[in-house]
Amino acid sequence: MNVLLRLANFFSPLTHYIAYILAYFFETLFMLIFITISLVAVIYIFRKYMARLQVRRGPNRVGKFGIFQMIADMMKLVQKESILPKKRDDLPYKVAPVVVMLGLFLGFALMPYGSFYYIGSLTVTHSSVSLVLLIAVIAIMPIGEILAGISSHNKYAMVGALRAVAKDVSFEVPMMITILALVMMASGQTSSPLNIDSIASSSRAFIAYGLVQPIGLGVFMISMIARASYSPFDLGESDSELVSGHSTEYTGMRFGIFYVGLFGSIFLGSMMVSTLYLGAYNGPFSGDVGFIYLVIKTWILVLISFTIWLSMPRIRIDKFVNFGWKYLLPASVINLILAGILTLGWSL
Amino acid sequence: MTEAEERQKWVDLNMGPQHPSTHGVLRLKVKLDGEIVKELEPVIGYLHRNAEKICELDYYCDSIIYFDRMDYVAAMNMEVGYLEAAEKLLGIPPPERVQWIRVIMAELSRVASHLVWTGAFGLDLGMLTPFFYAFIEREKILKIFTEVSGSRQEVNYMSIGGVYQDFNEKIVQEINEFCDQFPKKLEDMYDLFTKNDIFISRNKGIGVLPKEVALDYAVTGPMLRASGVPYDVRKAEPYLVYDKVNFDIPVSQKGDNLARFLVRFEEMRQSIKIVKQAISKLPEGPFFNPKAKKSLMIRLRGEGDVYARTESSKGELGVYIVGDGSVKPYRLRVRSPTLRNLSVLRYLAKDQMIADVVAISGTIDLVFGEVDR
Repeated sequence: MNVLLRLANFFSPLTHYIAYILAYFFETLFMLIFITISLVAVIYIFRKYMARLQVRRGPNRVGKFGIFQMIADMMKLVQKESILPKKRDDLPYKVAPVVVMLGLFLGFALMPYGSFYYIGSLTVTHSSVSLVLLIAVIAIMPIGEILAGISSHNKYAMVGALRAVAKDVSFEVPMMITILALVMMASGQTSSPLNIDSIASSSRAFIAYGLVQPIGLGVFMISMIARASYSPFDLGESDSELVSGHSTEYTGMRFGIFYVGLFGSIFLGSMMVSTLYLGAYNGPFSGDVGFIYLVIKTWILVLISFTIWLSMPRIRIDKFVNFGWKYLLPASVINLILAGILTLGWSL
Repeated sequence: MTEAEERQKWVDLNMGPQHPSTHGVLRLKVKLDGEIVKELEPVIGYLHRNAEKICELDYYCDSIIYFDRMDYVAAMNMEVGYLEAAEKLLGIPPPERVQWIRVIMAELSRVASHLVWTGAFGLDLGMLTPFFYAFIEREKILKIFTEVSGSRQEVNYMSIGGVYQDFNEKIVQEINEFCDQFPKKLEDMYDLFTKNDIFISRNKGIGVLPKEVALDYAVTGPMLRASGVPYDVRKAEPYLVYDKVNFDIPVSQKGDNLARFLVRFEEMRQSIKIVKQAISKLPEGPFFNPKAKKSLMIRLRGEGDVYARTESSKGELGVYIVGDGSVKPYRLRVRSPTLRNLSVLRYLAKDQMIADVVAISGTIDLVFGEVDR
C-alpha cells in the first residue's frame, strides 16, 4: 500500500475522480515539502561543513546554530531588486531558472523512496520505464544553464555556456553506457529492468550493484559530480575566470534558483548513485525503514561530494574533455563488457 | 582584413578591474579565440595614489607610512627598503640590535606575504580551503606585529635610525612559538597542494618563463629565481645583517607555475630559518640611534642622491632619494618589483587558455598598491 492509495482512501467519501485528483495533489505537495526541506538542509550542512573544514564557525547568528540562516538568505534574495540586462533575450532569460528547477523537481519525482513504517511506499511515480524518463529529465537542467548563458548576452556567460555544452557532451556518453551495463545486469534479476523501483528492489539479491560494478560506480559518480558542476568540474561557472559563468547576469531570486539548483543537483546525484549502485532503500535490518536507509546513504554521498568540492582545484576544460573521452568512455565500455560476462555467467 | 572581419575572429573580453580573479584592481584587455587568449594587455593605474609625490612633501620620518601602504601585504619589507635609502642619505646608521630586529620583522613579513599569495593562488585554481589555512598562519604573524607596533597591516614600526619599540620577553617568546609550530603547518599546506594531481597538472609546464626573457623584462624575486637565475639582493648585495645569517636561496630551472610555487614555499622555510637564527643572535643594545631622537626627527636634513636596493617579498625593491639639503626629499622614486614582474604577463599569457592566464597572473604575486603607488 502506498501513499497514493492511502490518500485516495482517505478522500473516498468524495467521488472517485476527485479523490484521486486530491490524492495526487497532496502526494506531490508532500514530495515538494520533502525536497525543499532537504535542499535547505543541504545548503545549511554545506555551509557548516565548509566552515568546519576551514576552521571557521559558519552561520551562527540567525536562530540557534544559525539554522534559520537559509530562510533569512532566501528572504533577502526575494526582496532584492531584479536587475535585468538591457540586451537580454527576454523569454529564454526568464525561462532559464524555471527550466533548471523543472529538471530538478522532475528528477526527484521519479526516484523510488522506499517505504516508511505504516505509511507504506513513498514512491511518487510508478512507471515501467522510469529509468529512461529519469535520464531524459536530468538532461533538462543543462539546457536551462545554456539558455541562461546565451540569453544574457554577456561574454562571460557565453563562455560559461559553451563550456557547459562541452562538459555535458563529454560525460553524458560514458554515463549512458554505465547505465546500460547496469540495466543489462538488472535484466537478469528482474523482469522490468528499466524501472528504477525494480532495479532498486532487485539489488537486494546482489547486496548492491556498486559492489559488482566498481568501475561503473566510479564512472557514474564522476558523471554526477560533473553534472552538478562543482569543483573539480565547476567549469561552467568557474568563479575565478568567468565571474560566475552562466549565472553572471542574474540577480535576486533568479540567481537564488541557480544556487539552489546546484545543491539540488548534488542531492539528486547522490540519491541517484545510492539508488542505482548502493542498494537504494535496502539495508542490513529488515523492516519498513527503507526510506531512512536511502536518506542515510544519500547524505554520506553528499558529505563525500562536499569534501571533494572543498579540497580540489578546478580542472581545465580541455583536460576534462580529454578525461571524458580518453578515460571515462573506455572505462565505461570495459565495465559494459565485464557486466555482460557477469550477467551471462549468472544466468548460466 | 577589415575591422568587421577582425571583430568576427576574436572576442574582446575585459577582465577587471572588478573581477574576482584579478588581484586588486588589475584590468586585463583580452582577445579571445574560443578559450585561447590571443592577446592580452594589462591596464594599470586604478590604485594610483601619488605616494611618491606625497613623500616629497613630507619630512623624511613621515614617509614610512606611505611605504606601508604601497605593498600592504609585506609592509615591513617596504619600510626596510625605504629606511635603507633614507638612513644612507641622512647618515644615521641603525644600531646593531635594530638591524637584527629589522631582519626578523622583514622575514616574518615575507612569510606573511607568501602566505597570502598561497591562499590567493589556491583560490585562482578553485581551491577554497587552503586559503583559510594560510590566513590562520598569517594571523599569528599579524598578532606579533600588533604586539610590537599596535597595528596589523600598516605597521609603521620602523623609524629612521631605529624602531618604534624594543622587543620584550613576550614578543621574543611569541616569535619563538610561531617558529616552532609553523613549519609543520607549512608542510601540511605543501602536501595539500603538491599531492593533488589536478594541481600539478594545472601548473606543470604552464606559463614557462625562460631565463633570457626574465632578464630582458627585469623580472626579479621568486619569479626570476624560478627561472634559474640565483639572484637575491640579500645574497648579492647584503644589507642589514643578512651576511651574518646562514640561509639558501631556492632556485628552480623550470620556470613554470609549479617552479614559482615551489620557490615561494622554500623561501618561507628559509625565512623561518633566518628568524630562528636572528632571535638567537639578537644582541643587547639601544633600539634607536641617538642622532634620531624623536625631538630631532623632523630636523633631519639630507643632501645628495642615494639608491638602495633590498629584497622585498615580491622582488628587488629600489628606492631612490635626492636630497637638496632641506628637511624634505627633493625627489623620491620607487622601483616597484611587481610592476616589472607584471609586464611579463603579456608574454606569458600569449596563446594560453583563459584558465591558465588566471593561474599565471596569480603566480606573479600582484599587489596593486605597489604597482600603481
